[in-house]
This record gives sequence, C-alpha cells and structure tokens, in this order.
Amino acid sequence: MVRVRSKSALALLVMFALLLTACGNSAGTETNKGSESKGETPASRTKISIMTPLHMAEVPDPKIEQLIEEKLNVDLDIQWIPASTYQDRMTAAFATGSLTDIVNISMTGANREAIKDGQFWDISSYINEYPNLKNLKQDVLNNTLVDGNLYALYQGRPLSRQGIIYRSDWAANLNLAAPETLDELYEMIKQFTESDPDKNNANDTIGLADRGDLTSGAFKTVASWNGVPNEWGMLDGKLAPAFMFPEYKETMDFFKKLRESGYMNTDFPVTSKTDQQNLIINGKAGVYIGCMCDVQQLYTGASQLNPDVQFDVHNKVVGKTGQFTVWSGPGYNHPYLFPKSAVKTEEELKTVLAFLNGLMDPEIANLLYWGIEGEHYSVVDGKAVPISDRGKLDREVIPYNTIEVGDPDTSGRLSGSYDYAPMARAQQLFTDNDNYVVQDPTLTLESQTFTQNKDRLAQLINDATYNYMLGESDEAAFNQAIERWKNEGGAQIIEEFNASYEMSK
Amino acid sequence: MSNQLATNKGSLLRSIRKNKLIYLMIFPGLLYILIYKYIPMYGLIISFQNYKPYKGIMGSEWVGFEHFTRLFNSPDFWMIFSNTLILFGLQLLIYFPIPIILAIMLNELRNEIYKKTVQTLIYLPHFMSWVIVVSISFVIFTFDGGIINGMLESLGFSKINFLLSSDWFRPMYILQIIWREAGWGTIVFLAAIAAVDPQLYEAAKMDGASRFRQMISITLPSIKSVIIVLLILKIGDVLELGFEHVYLLLNSTNRHVAEIFDTYVYVSGILQGQFSYSTAVGFFKGFVGLILVLLANWLAKRYGEEGIY
Amino acid sequence: MVGDKSWGSRIFSFTNGLLLAIVALVTVLPFIHVFASSFATAGELAAKKFLLVPTTFTFDAYKYIFSTSTLPRALFVSIFVTVVGTVWSMLISSLTAYGLSRKDLAGRNTLMFLFVFTMLFSGGMIPTFLVVQETGLLNSYLSLIVPVSINVFNMIILRTFFQGLPDGLEESGKIDGCNDFGILLRIVIPCSMPAIATISLFYAVTYWNTYMHAILYLSDAAKWPVQVLLRQIIVLASGLNYDSAVYTDTPPPSQSVKMAVIVVATLPVLVVYPFLQKHFAKGALLGSIKS
Repeated sequence: MVRVRSKSALALLVMFALLLTACGNSAGTETNKGSESKGETPASRTKISIMTPLHMAEVPDPKIEQLIEEKLNVDLDIQWIPASTYQDRMTAAFATGSLTDIVNISMTGANREAIKDGQFWDISSYINEYPNLKNLKQDVLNNTLVDGNLYALYQGRPLSRQGIIYRSDWAANLNLAAPETLDELYEMIKQFTESDPDKNNANDTIGLADRGDLTSGAFKTVASWNGVPNEWGMLDGKLAPAFMFPEYKETMDFFKKLRESGYMNTDFPVTSKTDQQNLIINGKAGVYIGCMCDVQQLYTGASQLNPDVQFDVHNKVVGKTGQFTVWSGPGYNHPYLFPKSAVKTEEELKTVLAFLNGLMDPEIANLLYWGIEGEHYSVVDGKAVPISDRGKLDREVIPYNTIEVGDPDTSGRLSGSYDYAPMARAQQLFTDNDNYVVQDPTLTLESQTFTQNKDRLAQLINDATYNYMLGESDEAAFNQAIERWKNEGGAQIIEEFNASYEMSK
Repeated sequence: MSNQLATNKGSLLRSIRKNKLIYLMIFPGLLYILIYKYIPMYGLIISFQNYKPYKGIMGSEWVGFEHFTRLFNSPDFWMIFSNTLILFGLQLLIYFPIPIILAIMLNELRNEIYKKTVQTLIYLPHFMSWVIVVSISFVIFTFDGGIINGMLESLGFSKINFLLSSDWFRPMYILQIIWREAGWGTIVFLAAIAAVDPQLYEAAKMDGASRFRQMISITLPSIKSVIIVLLILKIGDVLELGFEHVYLLLNSTNRHVAEIFDTYVYVSGILQGQFSYSTAVGFFKGFVGLILVLLANWLAKRYGEEGIY
Repeated sequence: MVGDKSWGSRIFSFTNGLLLAIVALVTVLPFIHVFASSFATAGELAAKKFLLVPTTFTFDAYKYIFSTSTLPRALFVSIFVTVVGTVWSMLISSLTAYGLSRKDLAGRNTLMFLFVFTMLFSGGMIPTFLVVQETGLLNSYLSLIVPVSINVFNMIILRTFFQGLPDGLEESGKIDGCNDFGILLRIVIPCSMPAIATISLFYAVTYWNTYMHAILYLSDAAKWPVQVLLRQIIVLASGLNYDSAVYTDTPPPSQSVKMAVIVVATLPVLVVYPFLQKHFAKGALLGSIKS
C-alpha cells in the first residue's frame, strides 16, 4: 500500500515539474546570454542576428559582445552552434525559414545551389560604399564569386601554411641542412631512419610520420612541390584534374618508395592526427609535413619527454621543375552571406553591411581576435602578446574569432608574437609562401555535375591513390580508376569546367 | 496464442467494453506515436522528389522513382547489399548468442560479490564511443609497434597488417562489437533469468539434475520468449549496422567488403546535400527490414511462440 | 543441497568463474588504460601506447573540464532531464506495454504493428523538427523528453516480461477488487522489478546521452546538457579543426582530456548501477502467487 501512494505522489510530482518547465520558457527562441543582467538597451538600436560555429567547449562570456554592441550601436544576437552539428542546424534553419541576418556557411554543395537560386543578396553593388569593406582583398573576394556575382564577405586565412617541421638536432647530428629539393627531402628521411640520428646506438627511428589525409597530410603538399596543380590545372591546353598529371604518379611513387623502404610509418592511411603527432613527440619520427603552425604543439609535448629536443620549420622544397610552388587554400575560412529570408529589405541589408564594416575597424578587430587590451593581451613592439591563462582566453575571447572580418592586412588588427622561435619563424614563412602559391582554378568556375558528385568521385580517386602507394594495386589499376572516374561523371565535369572557363575569359 | 477476434459482432463489442480501461492505458502511447512518429513520416515523400530545403516540400520538383533506380543501378549496389547482409549475418550468428551465454554463466556464479563485480566490469565498454574503441584498436593492432604484432615478432612469427587488409576487416568488426556490446547486452537476459521461479530449480535438483542440465532445461527455456523477441527485433534491424563504427574502420583497402548502405549514403547523399537520395535509401532499408520482420514474426508464430505483433 | 557439492558441480563452478574472469579482464583493461591516461601528461601519452599505470600524475585534464563555468549548470540540466525523462518514459511505456500484453485485447496485433512500424520508417530530422516546433516545444527542456517518450524497443521488452507473468496474478488482483490500473500498479509492476530496473536503466542512459536533440531544439546555450559540453571538449582535444578553422596560434588541450571526458561521462552510470543490481536477484516472483 505504501508503494502505491509513493508512486502516485511521484507521478504528481513529475507532472508538476513538467508544468513548471513548460511555463518557464517562452515559445520563441532566446538569445545566448549569460546569467548576468544585460541592462537596458535603447530601443533605437538595430537588431542584427548571426549564426556562427562554436569550436570551444562553451559559449563565451558576453563581455566582448556587449562592448561591440556599445561601440557599434547595435543589438547583437549571436547564435552559437557546436561546429560538428553546424551543417545539420543550417539545413534545419533553411527548411524552417529561420536563418539569421548573417550566416557563416561554406559555398559548396547544396549551399551553392541555394546561392544560385537567389536565396542570398548579391552585394557587388553595395560593397564599395563602405570604407573598410572596400579594402577587402579583391583576389580573395574573387574566389567567392558565384556565376560572377559577389554574395559574400570573408574572414581571411593565410593562403598556405604548408611546410616541413623537422628535428633540427637530428639534422645537426647528421650534418644535414634543411632540404631544398625533393631529393634532399628523401635523403633526410632516409638518414633519419638508417643513421641513428638520436645517437642512442639503436635502430629505433623512422623519417616521416604521416596520417590518413591526402589533403592536410603530406601528399598534396609534396605533390604541389613536385609541380602537380592544385586540384585542377592546364593539360594540353585544357583544364584537367590533378591526378591525370604525370607528376601525380611521381608523387605516389615517392611515398610508395618511402613506405616500402621502411622510412615512414607503414600504417599511415589509418593513422590519426593524434597518433601521427605522437610519433614525432615521442621521438620515433623526425619529419612532419603539414601546417607549420603545429610546431608549437609538437614542441610542447616533445619537450616534456626530452628537454633537449629541437625543431625547425622550412617551406621551400623544390621539385623537378626547379621552381618552388605550393598549393593554396582560397584565402578565406568563413564566408558571410545574407539570406533574403532574414534580411528583407535593402535598408536592412545596408545596416547589416555597416555592422560588418564596423567589425573591420582595428579597434573592434582586435577585440574580436585578441580581447581587451590589458586584460587579455598586451602590446609589445607593435605585436600582441596574449596572457598565459588559456582558460580565460578560451572562455572570453577565442569563440569570437569566428566572426572576424577580413585579415590583419586589411583590418589593421595586430599580429601575434611568439616566444618559441620556430613558431615565430613559421608565421614569417606563411607570408613567404604567398609569393609562390598555386590556386585552384575551378574555385570560381561552375559545374553542376561536380557540385553533385564531388565527394563520391573524390573517394574513388583517393582510394586508388592509397592502394597504389600501399602496393595493393599497380599503375594499370590506377588508370582503370581514372577511367571509372570519367565514366561516372568525370568526363562531364571536365567539359563543364572547361566551358565555364572559356566563358570567364 | 494469437489473438482470435470474435466473429460475432456482439461479442467483439462486449470485449471492448470489458477492456475499456486497457484501451485507456494504451491511448497516451498511441497519441505519442501518432504525433511524433507518424505525422513526420510525410517527410518520406522527398524520396520521390528533388528536395531542396529552401524550396520546401511543396516547391521541390517530383522525380518519381528516379532515386531508387539510381540506387539499384549504381555499380556498387550488389557489393553494398551483400556486405551489409554478411556483416548482419556475422552479428546474428556470432554476436547474438554471446550475451545470452554470458548471462547464463553469470547466473551460475555462487559468490555474490564476484558476480556483481564481473557484471559491472563487463558493461563498461558500452560507454566508450566508437572513436575511442577504434583508436584503442589501432594501438593494439597497428603494424608499426602495435601490441599484437610486437608479441608475434617476439614469438618468431611474421607481422600481420590487421588494419590495412580486407581479410581482417570482418573479424575486427565483429570482435569490436562483441567487446563493446556483449556486456551491456547481458542485462536484459539477467533480468529475464531473475524472473524464473526458483522452485523449478529446487525440483530439478531433487530429481538429481546436474547444474549443467538445470541450465539447459530450465534457464534456457524460461528466457526463450525474451530471446525470440530480441531476435525478431534484431532481424528487423538488418540494414542498420551502426554507421559510425563502420565509417571509422573503412579505408581504401577494405572498401569492397566494408562499404554498407549507411556509409555509402553518407558520401553519395548527405555530404553532397542530396537529401532526397539519402531519404530514398533510408526508405529502401526500412522496406527490407519490414519484409524481414514480417517473415520472422510469422515463423515465430508458426512454431508456437509469441511474435512481436 | 543435494548435487551442489559434487565434483561435477565444483569443476563447473571453477571453469565458469575462470572464463568470466578472463572476459572481465579483457573488457576492463582498455578502460583502465583510459582511466590511467586521464591522469598522464601529453608526453607520457605519446611515449607509451597502451598506458596502464601512469608514472606522471596530473589533474590537468580534469581541471580543464571542471574549469568551464557551464559545467555545473549543464550537469544539473542533464540530471533533471534524465530523472524526469526516465520517470515519464517508464510511466507511459509501462502503461502501453501492459495494455498490449493483455491477450484478450481486441485489435492487439494491429496496435502492436503500428508501434513496430515506427521502428522501421522515420520521416527524418526536418519533419520531426517541424512537428516539435508546431507543438510548441522548441527551446524548452520538454523537447528533450516528449518527442522521445517511448522507445518502442524498450516497450516491447517490457511487454514480453509482462506477458511472461503467470495468469494467476491477474486473477488474484481481480478477486481483491482491483481494476486494471490497480492490477498494474499494485501487482504487475512490483512483480516485474527486474524488467522495470532494466528498462529504467536503458531509458536513463539514453536520456543522459542526449546530444543531437539538444543542439537541434535548444537554441539557448544555457539549456544545453552536459554531453554537448563534453563532446565539444573531445573535438577540441583531437585538434582536427585546427587545420583550417580556428585560431591556430594556441595549441589544443592535451590528449588526456579526451580520456578524462570518458571517465566523467561514465561515472554516473557506475554510481547508479549497483542500486539496480539488487533487482537482478533471483526469486522476485517468490511467493507472489501464494499470497
């Protein structure tokens, strides 16, 4: 009997609790404000909403948001969305008509179709009315064009941060200089494996540590050093994909040889970034090809195990062409677009653009990127030095990085300074790379078949590439894969890109 | 026994009136599935369209069975289908019995503390995400200095490349599933065994039955209905193989044995924003599952067991 | 008792115990690795692949997780959603399962089929989102509970257990003058504690793991449950988004943070489970028919 009463009591309690929660929330969406009181916002402030990915663990402290609101006289509504589910939320927002004034989306795939369908504002005619916006780099803006129209503002990224990170103490032990050519690179990797670079009389090292990513790992970078174009290039006067170039096969042979000789990690296709970096950190491998920015992390980990460890970075490795070339990204990370479903009139569009223009002022740009001077960073010799409390930066500043507009060149924001010399050197090399970059010519070209099939077709070629390098298949099989690529849409893509190219000339 | 509806209308009405409180009990559940399961099913229509989220369902064009023909005509369809069936078969034949056996073994433990400890330890892996499981597998099985290969070498054998070979994919797959899920899977069977009347065991012991005999003749039959229900449900899930797990294990060397519908549709549909195609494949999967459930349920009933409907 | 102390019985027990010990060891070793790694430094993690006993000992990973100011609030949300959700789901599932277990119910098979059908076909994320929106649940904690009120799999298991109860139980309830609700509450449920405990556990774990729905339906970040926070931390620690997206100048948190997250996420279940274990004792039905 007691049991029954306690059960009914429980049921009542539950219903009561549910009632509480049901009444506790308003039906509409609320903004992501912290628990503090916001104070009165003057009714005359324009409201601007923006959706942006959240990479940090939690939504940031609204301090900086409030400062921006004050300085630009707006009422800001930032919707933070965990990055891994960003695409799903975006799809839901599209389907339910709940996009924000500014959206931060990629310009490929289904999104590109939406753009071409006229879902977003064409801002080509407005951009020059704004003093800061018109300073945005034309090259980068050109990379965002769809059908020749400008729909997006961008957040800049270095064009190429690729290079090699290597154990300079090992190189010193073996009298090796930084590799200037691919042959020297091969030699260094070989010596790091065979010649006991850590001088411990044991054969326990390998040269290169790579991971299972053909783009961000070593492959694409080494390929571009060897003269392979960036995804697409001119072959016999027409645009053709990179894997049809003989230099691509040469690159595959390069890695195949390295692997067969035992100079690199055998399981690299299934090695994660963590495991790849661990190989460097624990002193098993000595060469890392990828973003030179990773040197800081590698050093931090490696120095815990071996305080004498030394790394250096290097970017210019030349292939058979004799010229240094490296592939570049589009120069931007998050393009900002303006959905017509949220920004209803030209008036509204202008206020939104004015807001973004304001974000490009040096004062605001520094707020977004570095934080509040004196509290989050200090200025030394014209460069920003962040405080050492990572937690505070993570909680109060770093998430705002995702709504930056432009780049240090165009917005006047401060660059950072780094204690660790190789990291500082890496920053310089990023800029150096700018002089040698090779762009993907199809960024601004149109191909319907490509938009609809790129992932599946890319998987075909990636598989063939790996299988060749692993010795699972031979050149004939690779060529067969290319034929299959052509038959399943590739041939059409080549035609469409070339037609688009002709039109754009 | 299956539910025999009275052919006499009066008797039917009487039956309903007698059970009116029962119908009341079921009502909230029915309301729930109506609102949150059946109403959203209109979304399946997009399988027959070229759906664009910004156009909505009303605005997107109709393409009939185009996506289905595309699926069936794709050169890899039979490979994917057979891969899915084979992996499913492995799960059914190898994985499925294991939690049952474990539960029965646990039941035979006399020491309560030992029993509770083992029970708690074996379900822990269920809480590790597939990412962690696969990355731990990497550490154990990798060619360069992995634990197993290290042991093989020291014993004088040659190393085996477990991760980059199509031969080892299926064993790794099923091994990982057993490791992760078997422990958690015992819980349901333990509950079923706990519901068995101890008097049956007493009587059997007095008849001189050995413990092994008791296990076979009492424990097993008593949990038969739970086993059958779970079996039917599992069969209905035939094409649901756990996307994340397989996706993490897929690589260029094992694709021809590892590609299943979920991973295929992820690359060919979802990544490229082709919602209609993804939905069409999901529709197909549900359809196959439905046929198998109907079949399995009919079989169960034919052998005198309770089906799931 | 006769037959228990025989040689056959002893060998049986011994082999049984040994096999189970091996199973337990194999399953727990990787977990020990995760637990140990959560206290190790990045350097040691890189050096020792399958760490079981850390020589470096640091709380940094846990400090990182608990330094987030939203953790207490997120934990509270998760606990609230789990408790309320489990109670609610058990209520509605038990009602439905019991109702559908009555063998003389007209239309039983059809009704069952309606439920089973929903396991095979689903309208997808967007139509469900729209229904949630139309029923006024967006941005409310209820959106994490109501749309998942019944897990048909769980409900079917409950039904199977209810079906397995002796018919005598229902009779004795009727004799006492109970109506169907009374029979359910006073007799059926107390006699089905193993099943109730099991399904409650299943529901609780599912609610505790709520992640996707939270992000989809709750635009107010203050309402996010703890899994959202934990997953963000894991993604951060894997360093992948540092290739293109984020502020690349400061490195991501150490790998041990990933391990610490697993420990933190598993701890609640470890704590709750012992309380449920007592329901798996034999003889829950003992004496029920006799009374």
